[in-house]
Amino acid sequence: MTALDLVFDVVLATVMPVLVWRILASKDLASSVVLFVALGLVSALAWARLHAPDIALVEAAVGAGLTGALLMNALSWIGAEAGVTEPVSRATRVGVGILVTAVGVGLAVAVIHLTQPVGLAHEVDARLADAHVDYPVTAVLLSFRGYDTLLEIAVLVTAALGARLYAPGSVPGGDDPLSPHPRVLARVLTPIVVLVAGYLLWRGASAPGGAFQAAAVLAGGGILLVLARVLRPPRMSSIAVRAALVAGLAWFIAVAALPLATGAQLLEYPSASAKQLIISIEVALTLSISIVLLMFFPGEPAPGEAARHPEDRW
Amino acid sequence: MNATVAAVLLVPLVAALAVALVGSRAARYVAGAGVAATLASAIDLARRVERDGPAELHVGGWAAPLGILLRADGLAAVLSLAIAIIASTLGFVTVARTTGRETSAARFFAVWLFAWAGSNALVLSSDVFNLYVTLELVTIAAVVLLSIGGERGALRVALRYMLIALPGSLVYLVGVALLYGRYATLDLALIAERMTSTPVTWAALWLLVAGLVLKAALFPVHAWLPPVYANARAIVAALLAAIVGKTAFIVVLRVWPALPHAFAASAGPILGALASGAIVWGSVLALRQVRLRLVIAYSSVAHTGYLFLWFALATPAAWEGAVYIVLSHAFAVAALFLVSDTLERLGGDDRIEQVHGLSARLPLSFFALALAAASIMGMPPTGGFIGKWLLVRAAIETDQWWAVVVLVAGSLVSAGYMFRILRLALTTAGPIERVHAPLAGQFAAFVLGIAGFVLGLGSGVVLDLLAKGFTP
Amino acid sequence: MSAWSIYACSGAAIIALSLYGVFACAPLLKRILAANLIGTGVFLILVALADRSAPAQPDPVPHALVLTGVVISVSATALALAIAIRLADRRSSDDEGGWP
Repeated sequence: MTALDLVFDVVLATVMPVLVWRILASKDLASSVVLFVALGLVSALAWARLHAPDIALVEAAVGAGLTGALLMNALSWIGAEAGVTEPVSRATRVGVGILVTAVGVGLAVAVIHLTQPVGLAHEVDARLADAHVDYPVTAVLLSFRGYDTLLEIAVLVTAALGARLYAPGSVPGGDDPLSPHPRVLARVLTPIVVLVAGYLLWRGASAPGGAFQAAAVLAGGGILLVLARVLRPPRMSSIAVRAALVAGLAWFIAVAALPLATGAQLLEYPSASAKQLIISIEVALTLSISIVLLMFFPGEPAPGEAARHPEDRW
Repeated sequence: MNATVAAVLLVPLVAALAVALVGSRAARYVAGAGVAATLASAIDLARRVERDGPAELHVGGWAAPLGILLRADGLAAVLSLAIAIIASTLGFVTVARTTGRETSAARFFAVWLFAWAGSNALVLSSDVFNLYVTLELVTIAAVVLLSIGGERGALRVALRYMLIALPGSLVYLVGVALLYGRYATLDLALIAERMTSTPVTWAALWLLVAGLVLKAALFPVHAWLPPVYANARAIVAALLAAIVGKTAFIVVLRVWPALPHAFAASAGPILGALASGAIVWGSVLALRQVRLRLVIAYSSVAHTGYLFLWFALATPAAWEGAVYIVLSHAFAVAALFLVSDTLERLGGDDRIEQVHGLSARLPLSFFALALAAASIMGMPPTGGFIGKWLLVRAAIETDQWWAVVVLVAGSLVSAGYMFRILRLALTTAGPIERVHAPLAGQFAAFVLGIAGFVLGLGSGVVLDLLAKGFTP
Repeated sequence: MSAWSIYACSGAAIIALSLYGVFACAPLLKRILAANLIGTGVFLILVALADRSAPAQPDPVPHALVLTGVVISVSATALALAIAIRLADRRSSDDEGGWP
């Protein structure tokens, strides 16, 4: 590793905690949010440096992009000063400060001592052919540890059901005349978004990419369309939206339960059709995850919406 | 066995999706069916484990360390059955009360089933990262359940709960990360084989345990719990206290046998000391409360102490005692919250004075209250008694007399605050008329109270089932 | 000092700072941010541990774990923000939607 690499890594690794500190210490919530997005992009660089391109993709799209959009939207409600606060006593702060310093130092010392490069890379490579997937991370996600992914999608759907406290269109704001820029941007970018998402999904079988990355890109495109008022934000009262929400996990469960009929284990894909089944799961998941991510974003009001019962009812 | 375990995991998930799809008007019918089906699958699991013995399942057909292993043993069977009884009883109460016009019905029932699915996945899992995912599913479902309805008080506690539970899970995850970094496996059995007593391992294990201790609300990080129990809707509080609040402890229980003896020997007494603090602090504070919900909350803090006492006692008998207390406390606290709910609906709030004359006004609720109180106090022949008795016996066997003192003192104080309530309920002086309260909630509370009794009377059967596959 | 250990220490620092933020910051939004950032620190440690085998291929298992973790983290943050928005909305009255 060259000296330049080392300097780059040290700078990157130092900038991140400093950003975290600034995010949490700044008096103005708006700058916290902007710095959060910046941190997301910087950490995408860090993932790339650590040879983790999948995570870099997801971080840039979801961590920086989507979460940043959600935060800015939340800010417009909460207001840039402080919003709801719960003051903490000085004693608590000092106590917590001492505790976390001990934890941080102890953690750093412990991690540095883990110099032996043990891992499951060999086992994964050895059984990659049996998993019928070319790319190791996808194999782990959907084959070896597919059960984790199934439960994680359940987490996502649960959060989606809970985060829809407001029906879109009941959120006030946006009385100013719509500038033409978002519409133009939307028109130009949408085809590119769909193309990139499709490519990421397709390539996920053999290179960095896959369902999450594709869904994140699609959701980003969706948010752009919602902001440009080209697309109505999805409402839970529409059965099509609910079906799309439910479809990914439902299909995953169906494929997972299928082997039980032949006496095999849960999620033990039959060898002959494993590749196709995995791809079908990825497609279904891409659809559901992108709808969920899009639904996390409340959107702007359409004219004439009643605000009396803002809850998203279905 | 494959199909049975898969059913326990997948049926509630499928039911949740079906409820989300059909919407609020038909939600209660679909939810009712889903609840019944999940209960049936849990009963089936218990029967199979009893008949055929424990089984280890490789999800996806992949063996460890590559794949995720599920352990369908006695503990999993007993816990999933208890969870099923509580979740279905509370679920049926809500179904009975839903009229089809509530707009939050679909959201509630779907997330209820997701919480149940997460709990089932948690008791069956034998993989430390998978346990993290199940913990998060249960946590996020609990937060959503807390927030349904939109009252500011409920929203506040939902957010406060999330801001405690989430960091707890993440601290646990750091421990998992360090363990993987050292031993290159996430499977509990393999970790047990490979684990050696090094400082790094100890750091990892302390982080693991600390995260779970925070989530379990063990003294002294218990302060977040009483406001949550006080401000949640009664049914949600019941689920939280009976099931969700136990999940962190269950994870520690699962992980503990894999830990090296040196660590267990040093961490055990520390946990035991915190547990004693919990028992003393919780019981004393429960005595001073004027609201029924807060009595239940502080009693739960004390009972978490009984649970964590096991790590100091560390014998098979103590293990059985801890599990018994998990079960009996879960039934009792769910019953108590239902009784409190009935009182709140009648009188507007949950001050203890509401209990006055309960034995004459609402005999069914009074019986439920009495049964639950007996279990909390540890009176024979309830499950609570069996649990405490097993713990006391283990303390005597290992010559840890401080534990005996704490256990006895805790029981005496709990008798204090429970008898106070029961005495008030039995006082029928003054004008008392029979009132009518919704039957569903009362009957459910009664069922759960009886369950605590059955747990005690049928202890032979339960302990036999627990013993399948257990290696302390 | 190798690259992975530098990033791992960075992760430890982020975890410590964010833990402080969750329990010591006053504004609710900052606590939500802090909770999210603890995750970032944990993931950094996981991925750094996976890269110990450099220049050989990194261990794919922690990458999959982190991907799962990021999805869970986003779900939690989105949920927390939705609740925080509802709390901050002074227009909202109590008990909408009807509940038994």
